[in-house]
Amino acid sequence: MGARGTAFSEVMAGSVRLAGEREPRPVRLDLDVRADEVLRPMGTTEGRLTGRVRVAGWADDTGIRGELEISPLARRRIRYRVHFTAGGRSCMLDGWKSISPARPVKSMTVLPFVLLEDGEQTGEGTLRFPLATQLLPFLGSFRFPRRTASPSGAVGPGAADPDGLLPPRWDGAAGRTEVWYTTVTDPESGTGLWLHHELVAPADGSGAYAHGWVAQFPGNGQEPVRHARFGPEPWKPAGGQDRADEVSDGARGSGFTSGGIEAVPGRLRGSAGPFSWDLTEQPDGEPLFTFPRWSWRRPLLPAAQIVPAPQATYSGSFTHDGRELRLDDAQGATARIYGHGNARRWAWLHAHLGGGDVLEIVAAVSMRPVLRRLPPLVFLRLRKDGRTWPRRVERAAVGWAGAGRFRADIGLPVWTVTGRSGMRRVKVVVTQPEERTLALDYTDPDGSGAVCRNSETADAHILLERWWGRWRKEAEWSLDGTAHAEVGDR
Amino acid sequence: MSYRLDGLVAALLADDGSEAWPGAVPARVENVLGSMPRAARAGVRAAAAAVDAYALLRAGRGMGRLTPQERETVLSSLAARPALLPVLDALKVPVMLAAGTERMLHKEPPARPVLPPPADPPLDCVPSTEWPARATADAVVVGSGAGGAVAARTLARAGMRVLVLEEGRHHTTGDFGRRAPLDRFTELYRDGGGTIALGNPPVVLPVGRAVGGTTVVNSGTCYRTPDHVLERWRDTFGLPLADADAFGAYLDEAERTLQVATQPMDVLGRNGRTALLGAERLGWEAAPLRRNAPGCKGSCQCVVGCPTGAKQSVQLSVLPDACSAGARIVTGAYVRRILVERDRPGGPRACGVAVRRPDGSELEILSPLVVVAAGALNSPPLLRRSGLGGHPRLGRNLAVHPAASVAGRFAEPVTAWQGVLQSVGVEELHGDGILIEATAGPPGMGSFVLPGVGRGLRAELDGANSLATVGAMIADLPSGRVLGARHPLLRYDLAPRDGRRLMRAVTAMGELLFAAGAEEVLTGIAAAPSARTQAELEEKLSRLSARQLHLSAFHPTGTVALGADPQTAPADEHGRLRGVRGVLVADGSALPSCPEVNPQLTIMATSLAVSNGSL
Repeated sequence: MGARGTAFSEVMAGSVRLAGEREPRPVRLDLDVRADEVLRPMGTTEGRLTGRVRVAGWADDTGIRGELEISPLARRRIRYRVHFTAGGRSCMLDGWKSISPARPVKSMTVLPFVLLEDGEQTGEGTLRFPLATQLLPFLGSFRFPRRTASPSGAVGPGAADPDGLLPPRWDGAAGRTEVWYTTVTDPESGTGLWLHHELVAPADGSGAYAHGWVAQFPGNGQEPVRHARFGPEPWKPAGGQDRADEVSDGARGSGFTSGGIEAVPGRLRGSAGPFSWDLTEQPDGEPLFTFPRWSWRRPLLPAAQIVPAPQATYSGSFTHDGRELRLDDAQGATARIYGHGNARRWAWLHAHLGGGDVLEIVAAVSMRPVLRRLPPLVFLRLRKDGRTWPRRVERAAVGWAGAGRFRADIGLPVWTVTGRSGMRRVKVVVTQPEERTLALDYTDPDGSGAVCRNSETADAHILLERWWGRWRKEAEWSLDGTAHAEVGDR
Repeated sequence: MSYRLDGLVAALLADDGSEAWPGAVPARVENVLGSMPRAARAGVRAAAAAVDAYALLRAGRGMGRLTPQERETVLSSLAARPALLPVLDALKVPVMLAAGTERMLHKEPPARPVLPPPADPPLDCVPSTEWPARATADAVVVGSGAGGAVAARTLARAGMRVLVLEEGRHHTTGDFGRRAPLDRFTELYRDGGGTIALGNPPVVLPVGRAVGGTTVVNSGTCYRTPDHVLERWRDTFGLPLADADAFGAYLDEAERTLQVATQPMDVLGRNGRTALLGAERLGWEAAPLRRNAPGCKGSCQCVVGCPTGAKQSVQLSVLPDACSAGARIVTGAYVRRILVERDRPGGPRACGVAVRRPDGSELEILSPLVVVAAGALNSPPLLRRSGLGGHPRLGRNLAVHPAASVAGRFAEPVTAWQGVLQSVGVEELHGDGILIEATAGPPGMGSFVLPGVGRGLRAELDGANSLATVGAMIADLPSGRVLGARHPLLRYDLAPRDGRRLMRAVTAMGELLFAAGAEEVLTGIAAAPSARTQAELEEKLSRLSARQLHLSAFHPTGTVALGADPQTAPADEHGRLRGVRGVLVADGSALPSCPEVNPQLTIMATSLAVSNGSL
């Protein structure tokens, strides 16, 4: 089963003759159909129905539920079972289109059905799909959305599982780097935290090592940014010779574990220099694929970044020099990077916009020949009201063969991203004041270096506009010291 | 445009205007032809046109415009040519049926029944035109005959929602009493009774089409499956259900349901008594048959629906039980195909049926279980048009019990149509695969092909009440097959061994009739129509072959045979069709080989075993 589902709407109208009545009554069915897989013309697809049923003078139920069995070729049948209430009584409409190659149009549009109450037939009728008026709306209503978690909170089968995105990707190849990094903002103090866990497999084939750092960005802006590095330690693959007392049960192979430092599903802990931390992570939100989804499954790009749980919250203690910071449902996110190394130049933003909305931006210039001459490719994902814009991330990065791509102006202390896709445009201005920024040296697998300037207490201003005769403001967010951002160059 | 048959009918019956009834025959012949398949109808009309053309050439005018004497001359010259005799016989059959009926109605109108016919047990029948276009069930049974009715009852008693689909309609005992036998005949039989298996000789193979299937129109004879047949099924075909004890229990249950008992002598009739007398004089083993007709009044109309309700055909015995257990019967429902879901994990699975109503519209019923019981002639085409006919043996293995009949002319009136239609079984030669049964035709519907044309035929018709008729069926090799998907096309090539058996059976029947005192025996063979002594009969038969017999058959079986060997049997030993899940075979087509006796009990017991095994 693939990652995408199917959704469409259908309207049918006809008549039904109820038991004991001589005259038929008009009936109309408005259906929204959702299936957990993309329609398979040669197979059978099961879908769920919601919508409204109206039987003149007898029933009008807007809360119908039902099942749809779509099998036009394999079973030559499209079966509708709709449960609804009429006058307080629970009824079911059961019928199917019987697909005939000899009469394709009639058999695809005519739905004979029976009405059942407690298994007993109470009516019989026929619904027709009005081709003249409904064909275009029907075809236009088709969507193939990525499947989401079910309303109960359980992740549906095949849906992306945040925990499933945390295990190491590294396959032993030389010249790779893999990163687990967590950024958190304490709502009480405004303090920003940065926990960076990195696995480097040098390009020269020498042993892979794990290292990282921890940094604290005080919220008052008065105290300096502090940080401490840990590692390097030789990387031990999952199930290796790790000391059991250093690793949580079941943690091996599920994330980053090295030298007593862990970044595994649900937990971050360790100590480095004057810092020690023990945080629990409560993931929330669908994974955000900042780069095209395929590039995470098949690492064809120089590197790719994802945010498995963009709405995570963190609780626990973070201690520096004996001063403990208690976190209680502090917002943040753990991101993942896997690839050949750092970019030539890059900028990154992770911004919680409130109400479950989140903005993730990576703008980068590749190290590869030819690509390094291009302007920064902007990978922008704005999740607003549960939907992600732009719908395809390639749209922001490359536009239409370059035309219409999103643009980034990378600099310090201010960098900006602008772009337009569909009927919307966005302008993002990020400010990283120097006193709230930490500069760190990075080392790529090939031994070359880069400098990253990171701030977990950055400011950001985001303006989202929508075209409706003219550009009108759709939303505007100003983040004061709660944006997580960085700029890197060489 | 139809060809008028008036002249030909007048010639065949030597109508000189002295009596009124021959004048009504052409209209009735048209009626009979109207219910026959198109090919048979066209054949009869073409033969009639050919005879008319011959008359035109010989006498200068068509048959209809000749004088009675000229007609007689023309027909006699035709009948003098042996090669043309089969053509004349083919023309004579519908004319004789119509003539017999009209003669009876004019000369001996049937007395009105003293008592009104008894009310039938209630059935939950719904015409397909009133059935919704979409429905679901737990099990669908295709066909309401001996096999289908029993399967429906078993499944309904197990608590399943069962729908029985029947192409014919529901006829009540009251309906039977109101109409002449010939009128009922054309309605109760598929193709108006004119189903023919092509071959040399062709075999007439009438099967019923009504709620109750062929059991509505069979003779009511109920033989238990012989032990040696069950042994063969168990040992050769690997059928565990043919275990003598287990199958015996199912036979017992079928007998109880049908109230099977030996036919009492009181209404046996002279035809049966004559056969008993002949057997007694020869020292042959013979007895009144065991039948499912308690209180039979000897109406001699079993084969056109019992007008007194005595014969316990399944619509009076099994289907009422099934309906009281919740089964419903949809009539006028021609199953166009079995719906199959081919994308199911584990292979294709039946999921219901598509049904055509008489008006051409369609309905569908979804059901996880489909029981095929459309009869041995119609189950294979149904499976083929459903895309389930892939097994190379499907439609083959057709055994039919070919039968021939012989009449004996007696000095005293026999009036064979007063008494039990099939009354006495002579089992002397049963060990050799020959079963002789004293069988008469219903009033006005003598099934025996009388010799002669014109005045000769007219005289035979007038003297028909002095004829006693016996028939013999033989245990045959499975030499037939059912072809076709939309319509069954039958092919039956009589095996040489079976031809010899038939000739022996004709000889034996002649011996039986002569022993009973027959003055003359009529063979029904145009080339040797009669013999006055056994020696003459044997001498005449020695010059003939079975190909010249008028063969009929009533027990088609074996076309979707059960068997343990997947190579030779389209259905497995439990009755499940191979190559698909959810299809059971529970009718005469399931029998692995010829049952050697009238098969109703065998089919019912097999259906019981298959349907019980599926629960």
